Amino acid sequence: MQRFPCPFCGPRPETEFHFMGEAGKIRPKTTQAISDAEWATYLHSQRNEKGTVREVWMHLTCGEMFIMIRDSVTMEVLGTETLRKDAS
Amino acid sequence: MRDDRNRWPAPIARRDPMTVGAAQLQEVALTRQTLVSGPSVRTTEAPLIGWPDLVLTDRYALCLRRDQVLVVNGQEDSPGWDATAQRAVSDVTDGYRVFDLTGPSAHDVLQRGAEIELLPRSPSVARQLYGLGCFLYRVGRPDHFRLHVSSAHADAMCGHLLAAMKATSEVLSL
Amino acid sequence: MTARRLPSGGVIDRTQPLTFRFDGRVMCGLKGDTIASALLANGVRIVGRSFKYHRPRGVWGSWVDDPNAIMTIRLGDRELPNVPAATTLLENGMEIRAVNAWPSAKHDVKGGLDLLHRWLGAGFYYKMFMSPDWHLFEPSIRKMAGLGPVNTAVYDDPSDQVNAACDVLVVGGGPAGLLAARLAAERGEDVWLVEDHATLGGTSAQVTAIDGQDPEAWVTAQEAAILAAGGRILRQTTAYGIYDHQMVGLLEKFDFAAAPRRWRLRAGRIVLASGALDRPITFANNDLPGVMSLQGAADFAARYGVLVDRKVVVAARGAPAEHAIALIEQAGARLTRVAPDAPLKAFGYKGAQGIAIGGLRRFADTVLVSGGLTPLVHLWRHAGGKLDWCARRQAFLPGAMPIQMQAIGAANGTYSLHDALEEARAAGTNTPVTRVDTAEEMTPLWPKPNSKGRQWVDFQHDVTLKDVSLAAQENYVSVEHLKRYTTLGMAADQGKTANMAGLAAMAAIQDRPIPEVGTTTFRPPFVPIPIESFHGHYSKQLWHPLKRLPLETAHRALDAALCEYGGWLRPGWYGNGAAQTHIQAEAKQARETVAIFDGSSLGKIAVMGPDAAAFVNFVYYNTITTLQPGRIRYGFMLTEGGIVKDDGVIARLGPEHFLISCSSSHTDSVRLHLEAWRQDGNDPDRIFIHDETQAWATVTVTGPKARGVVETLGLPLDLGREAFPHMSLQTTSWKGQPMRLARVSFTGDLSFEMSVPARHAEALWTSLHDATKAAGGGLLGIEAMSILRAEKGYIMIGKDTDGETMPHDLGFTVPRNKKTAAFIGDRSLHSPVANAADRKQLVGLAVGGDDVIPTGAHVVLTGTRQSQGYVTSSYFSPSLGKPIALAIVAGGTNKMGQDMETWHKDARTSVTICPPCVFDPEGERLNA
Repeated sequence: MQRFPCPFCGPRPETEFHFMGEAGKIRPKTTQAISDAEWATYLHSQRNEKGTVREVWMHLTCGEMFIMIRDSVTMEVLGTETLRKDAS
Repeated sequence: MRDDRNRWPAPIARRDPMTVGAAQLQEVALTRQTLVSGPSVRTTEAPLIGWPDLVLTDRYALCLRRDQVLVVNGQEDSPGWDATAQRAVSDVTDGYRVFDLTGPSAHDVLQRGAEIELLPRSPSVARQLYGLGCFLYRVGRPDHFRLHVSSAHADAMCGHLLAAMKATSEVLSL
Repeated sequence: MTARRLPSGGVIDRTQPLTFRFDGRVMCGLKGDTIASALLANGVRIVGRSFKYHRPRGVWGSWVDDPNAIMTIRLGDRELPNVPAATTLLENGMEIRAVNAWPSAKHDVKGGLDLLHRWLGAGFYYKMFMSPDWHLFEPSIRKMAGLGPVNTAVYDDPSDQVNAACDVLVVGGGPAGLLAARLAAERGEDVWLVEDHATLGGTSAQVTAIDGQDPEAWVTAQEAAILAAGGRILRQTTAYGIYDHQMVGLLEKFDFAAAPRRWRLRAGRIVLASGALDRPITFANNDLPGVMSLQGAADFAARYGVLVDRKVVVAARGAPAEHAIALIEQAGARLTRVAPDAPLKAFGYKGAQGIAIGGLRRFADTVLVSGGLTPLVHLWRHAGGKLDWCARRQAFLPGAMPIQMQAIGAANGTYSLHDALEEARAAGTNTPVTRVDTAEEMTPLWPKPNSKGRQWVDFQHDVTLKDVSLAAQENYVSVEHLKRYTTLGMAADQGKTANMAGLAAMAAIQDRPIPEVGTTTFRPPFVPIPIESFHGHYSKQLWHPLKRLPLETAHRALDAALCEYGGWLRPGWYGNGAAQTHIQAEAKQARETVAIFDGSSLGKIAVMGPDAAAFVNFVYYNTITTLQPGRIRYGFMLTEGGIVKDDGVIARLGPEHFLISCSSSHTDSVRLHLEAWRQDGNDPDRIFIHDETQAWATVTVTGPKARGVVETLGLPLDLGREAFPHMSLQTTSWKGQPMRLARVSFTGDLSFEMSVPARHAEALWTSLHDATKAAGGGLLGIEAMSILRAEKGYIMIGKDTDGETMPHDLGFTVPRNKKTAAFIGDRSLHSPVANAADRKQLVGLAVGGDDVIPTGAHVVLTGTRQSQGYVTSSYFSPSLGKPIALAIVAGGTNKMGQDMETWHKDARTSVTICPPCVFDPEGERLNA
């Protein structure tokens, strides 16, 4: 059982968290023309890296979405970043 | 569809106090539970309760999220968005059933449902216990825990708590 | 064999005799005995049979390393199969039988299998039974295989599961572990010490002094000091695995067949003092009963006061072996030593009678062997620690460790007591452990491939040196392949005795160094763990608890058949006996008069705030910004892939207040979906989402007479068609309580949906039920409701749609073509796949004949078997008096009127493609 640090709640068991996707994906502006390839990349392309990864997770009990930096080999959690610009 | 009426025992609408070993479980009737969200609810609603704070007043606000609290026993509040106060309000009095778990073994009972330690502190009282979402905090005394669980899972939560109370009492008898 | 009980010493209580039976024979043991030590003390030599050849097997080791003595045990009314005899304490009255042997371990009828060994090498079953079809042979092979038969009785005392945390966990209560635990506890750390034996001390019984004190007194003093400093000691507790982030799994055993307790301990740091195991020597017939571990024999003597034999032959190497030999000699054995690397061959029938070196025979009933020690590094590897090959010790030792964990003593390759205690002092005070490298040089002693005779590598699974050679010959040279091809190390002991010999043999065959061959992956659990300890009390209704309705008691009083629908326990129909009769009657009555339905589980998610309107417009396929307060709209939520995720209605309660009514089973996932998009790409300070689902109970009144029934509530509002049209919502009050009243319909008939705070649900239900009965109507369960909605072509997401269905496949094309604002999934609706002509589209089927087509039947072109789609919903419609069906069919919209067939298990039914809605297509009843 891993323990993840929610930027708001602090350390909690992994079962309280949900993986939302790899960090860094920006939704293309769909009101403009987008090629099929560009959209497909947004939908389906994953980096699936070995080693340090940046991922978006949600802490289900408090609803906080945040970026977690982990090592995908050792499972070590290296840090978190909030997605809220004014997190307090 | 399979008729499962006999597979699932009838739910218990309201639980009488149950004592097993050194822990007691009792359902609590609260006057009102109001879900309040907004950019600054954590500063406007008081007293704000986190983990492992002790509630010492009749009316209090449970901190659930960065921008959401559950006001317990507050005033009646009109539902919807209040643009002036920047508050979103829902009356959820019937959405959660509330139970008090007390006694010297209460903490041991909780430890059968999740990694529950008094430290580190957490701003939020929302967590998972026995795999079910709940709001967990303390009231008045260190061995008096209170938990809110969504009504649909209240019976399941009681089943888990009673199983753990039984296991805990068997440890004591060793 | 002439094993005997020593007059003194050990942890057994000579004043407390225990009686038990083994394979029917009455025997006597002592309190403190394991089953293995008691069997040895009774002169039992054959304790079981091997898995494949049914060769006789004797006790090999004294603890977790014994692969041979596996029993089915009955005590009182409880019976357990596959109990390891070496680690299970004897109890009075045990009825013990060897597994995999009938009628007894000594006289096993399948013993003859061994004669076929020449043809039963590694991979035999794979090769032999491939043709014509493995499945022909599988049942009889399965019957032959396996250990003890599973007991089908259910014992209803769940295993306890506890989470806990500590500063320091010390694994192993031998001298090193005890000292480390004591020092850490005395520094004020919260210390847990776990020991898998029932008593502390480990190898202390084998030495004459520890730190200059009497060993027993020293152990007692450490224990007292640990407890006095606030430490905790768990006996009969095995640390069976280390998991992520310093989580250690502990299994605490109690009396025989009592449910064990499983601890999930979060340890700040871990000290591994788990000791080391003896290694077999690989020589001809080394599996004969009577060939056993030298260290095991020393442990049997020191711990249980059992001398395995008076006359023994010893083949051993290394300083720890010399220590054990001295101990056994002191216990009264006469020893003959043979060179361990000579060409040895054990001889004897059903048991060793001695050992031959070339032509020279040494007679003795017991042959003690030790090929050196293997440190128990299993937990080290679970935690991700590295192993370093030590040529001096000929063993893998703990190397680099990524987490807070240290190894000390024999687990660290430090076999001398003095040095082990030095390491314990370091670990106890949380300073780096420096391995004291005074161990003597160990001359390698490994299997010699191509040497003569049948030489066992894995005793339980009958893997011989020849099998390893065969695997290498067939290019299964990786140790992971070797393991799976030969089943080496896959027995109940998971290779504790076999793995080192196996990988050394492979190294020798390939002429590679041992560290290059490497080990197989060490995975938890370290010892077999009862499955019950993983489920604990999470079984039956607590395994996956359903959500319960506030009205369940009322439904039960009305004889509801409660069924699971999407995680909720809901009324499928009402009444006892034949379900279809009730379902048809309910559907008919709802169409003809009026019925009430519990819709409480439907999601009620409020979206509020200044950006709420723009947000729901983005989340929905349909345009929502144009929705007026007080009005309701039906719509879809899509995934970014354009697939329909959920459908339902959304009501606008105020300019900045929306209420989303999603499917009962999708409420949690819709809430997550909304919350994710709220925080990703939107300003979360301007949108707030509240799940109010369970705060409100919802009762729906539907049918031609619905308005009259609702009027009986005396609500202060006009229920008329013009004042309160279809797809509108009003907030009112009933008996002083808030009520939300909506005109939406999932049946196609005039419907009113009333929501009140859940505690008033019963009062509302009772009032409406009484009024419904008075109007000649009744109850409506979900099964009948499903018929009504199918008659109207109303879909259920996930039933009438699949993981490819887009909104235009369901006939909802306008937003795809016209909506200008961005919405989730928008771009995906214009991909080449979305534009394909052969997309599966929702259609109705006019069914030929009177039989209901099975749901899931394929829709095929007449006379063919090529699937064009499949039936998603199929019922007998009591209102129409005929079967109806919905289907998704490739290009279905353009096939209207086309005759096709459904095909299911060779049965064909003629159907005609028709619009999905077959009842009141003009919607006159809906808008009534």
